[in-house]
Amino acid sequence: MRAIQISILLLFGFLQTVSGQFSNHLNVGFESSLIWYNDDPKTGDFYDDVSRSGEEHLRSNNYLKLDYNFYGFLSASIQVESYSPSALLNFSPNYDNTNIGTYSIRYKQGKIDATAGYYYTQFGSGLILRSWEDRELGLNNALRGGIITYKPMEDLSVTALYGKHRVGFKTSNGNIFGVDLTFNLSNRLGWETTQMNFGPSFVGRQEKLELENPGFDELTNAFSSRFDLSLGSFYAGLEYVLKGKDGIAFRNSFDNYFVKPGSAILINAGFTGERFGADLTMRRLENMSFFSDRLKKGNIYNENVVNFIPALTKQQDFSLANIYVYQPQFSVLFLAENLVKVGEIGGQLDLFYKIKKDTPLGGAYGTSLALNTSYWAGLKNTSVFPNPDAGITANYHAEPLGFGTKYFSDFNFEIRKKWSSNWLTNTFFMTQNYNKRYLEDSAIEIVRAKIAAMDAIYKMSDGKSAKIEIQHLWAKEDKKNWAGGTLEYNFSPRLSLYVNDLYNYGNDHQDQRIHYYNFGGSISKGSNRLSLNYGRQRGGLLCVGGVCRIVSESTGLTANLSISF
Amino acid sequence: MKSYLLTLCFLVSILLTYAQKLPYASLQTIDNKTVSTKTISSKEGLVVVSFWATWCVPCINELDAISEVFDDWKEEINFTFYAVAIDDARTKNRIRPMVKGKSWPYQVLIDENQDLKRGLNITSMPFVIVLKKGEIVHKHTGYSQGAEEELYTTLKSLSK
Repeated sequence: MRAIQISILLLFGFLQTVSGQFSNHLNVGFESSLIWYNDDPKTGDFYDDVSRSGEEHLRSNNYLKLDYNFYGFLSASIQVESYSPSALLNFSPNYDNTNIGTYSIRYKQGKIDATAGYYYTQFGSGLILRSWEDRELGLNNALRGGIITYKPMEDLSVTALYGKHRVGFKTSNGNIFGVDLTFNLSNRLGWETTQMNFGPSFVGRQEKLELENPGFDELTNAFSSRFDLSLGSFYAGLEYVLKGKDGIAFRNSFDNYFVKPGSAILINAGFTGERFGADLTMRRLENMSFFSDRLKKGNIYNENVVNFIPALTKQQDFSLANIYVYQPQFSVLFLAENLVKVGEIGGQLDLFYKIKKDTPLGGAYGTSLALNTSYWAGLKNTSVFPNPDAGITANYHAEPLGFGTKYFSDFNFEIRKKWSSNWLTNTFFMTQNYNKRYLEDSAIEIVRAKIAAMDAIYKMSDGKSAKIEIQHLWAKEDKKNWAGGTLEYNFSPRLSLYVNDLYNYGNDHQDQRIHYYNFGGSISKGSNRLSLNYGRQRGGLLCVGGVCRIVSESTGLTANLSISF
Repeated sequence: MKSYLLTLCFLVSILLTYAQKLPYASLQTIDNKTVSTKTISSKEGLVVVSFWATWCVPCINELDAISEVFDDWKEEINFTFYAVAIDDARTKNRIRPMVKGKSWPYQVLIDENQDLKRGLNITSMPFVIVLKKGEIVHKHTGYSQGAEEELYTTLKSLSK
């Protein structure tokens, strides 16, 4: 008996040593979101529009990711995903059951960095190519194939890649090819304080065509060039993308004569001084939708996306400022004779300033001011609306710098101020002009909203703190006025509880004056976190990082767990 | 039961003997210079890596709070502080004016396609990592007002 005990202990010691070394090279991440959707007496019974059933009330998305590093130059990664019994509401039906989502093996030594399997990457700002993961959006357009980056010298790197997009647990029909160069010119020119970068890229998308005598090629080529300059307190950037001629789908089919190129131009310039920063971004997009499978254009699950075109407006924090969110207009869409969209043009400006402390307005800690404003319009164009029966092909001509129908504008500013060692407040004001007819193809025309919000944080001793937030939205159109509030209490930096409500009290329809209430809490330890929430989710657009997903109204109990070690 | 306990002991022992390094990733400074995680890991003294984004309010509250006491901490502890922004093309252009507008004392780096964030399996923000001799010795997620005092205590005890 004793011998067994000793051998167990010896084995244990051995395993511990081995596992110690093993675990030094292993990263594990686990994330789980579980929701029980319940029937709601106010908003209706639970119903899934995709599966057309109100059965499966319990849904979960689970991700287990393991990364292992061998000998410092070789690493392997695998991500197993489980959507069981089904994925959360509004996720793509291509996420079903349990399977391996991504896997890869990477070699990184000296001048070479190569990955085989699934990989994430981007060229420039992503305007020509980006593959990334956003679990909240259900977006994962990792490329499956191979990528190699060669850095012959410090100032130059060359990347070549090939892959098919991940689509749920399958891959795209189309193939993606890419080459990117990044030069840092400063060292070459012997500059010390000035940074100058230059980078040309190529991305090709090849997808088999099942058309007779197609008027365009299977392979669509896109070229881009970017240039960044940083000169002391001034900086500027320019990126230009030209997408070759390609057929434009109309009502899910192609007309051999409706074939057009696309283009994007992005200009950015900024200036910083002492306690001051300013940034101006301008962009023009024309026919820039780019998908690995052509007919996936505009799919609501963000699948098969080749490039990343985010809305260039400020990502807002207050929830009422997230009802009328601008979505970038990069596709050519002939929705009706008086609703033709071929692209967008506009820009945004950001200003940051911190009022010095120990001044009348700065107080003892200084005051931070932030101002943001944007204006976006459709590209001015002349168009011919298609009529296949009469043999009329769609066509358009966009003006180089013509501002057409206004899509969106906003002006917002916030004042963050610390009043004492205990009190901190943030005051926010915003006006929005949202062209709902053009942006959502809705019967409602323009929504003009004003939003005011304020939050205050009170810090107590022993890591305790409390937060109160109030917000209001005024509008005379659509769902009209909203009010909202939040109360949050942190027992320690690890444990917090909250309750919040958004109330659409101004709605014309009595039965749609709904309280979107939520309450819950979270507990964290080190890098692990568990949160619970019960409440009603407002339907509409859920936007993360400039990409939006449509979510339907639902009520339920949510549990989120994330563990990493 | 016994095997269950043994497995548990085994798992606990893995966690106890655990010492990870930063995975390889290439980051950008705000003026487009490249900095690899190798450079970050090789810094003398303690290294704090704080993940944030221009749209993450608790992250900004945390960095604001630390910036106020930064000089006091520096007098007592030998550490380097990196504020790693995970903003992508949507908001990346706001990083530089915001950092300058706030006069933060940190070395700001950009993890634009989130390679480092993904490599560390970070799912919620803010997220702070402390490295000592290139090894991860502390991790923490979330921020509530005043939590920077705990980070100070942690750094103080790790610096001994």
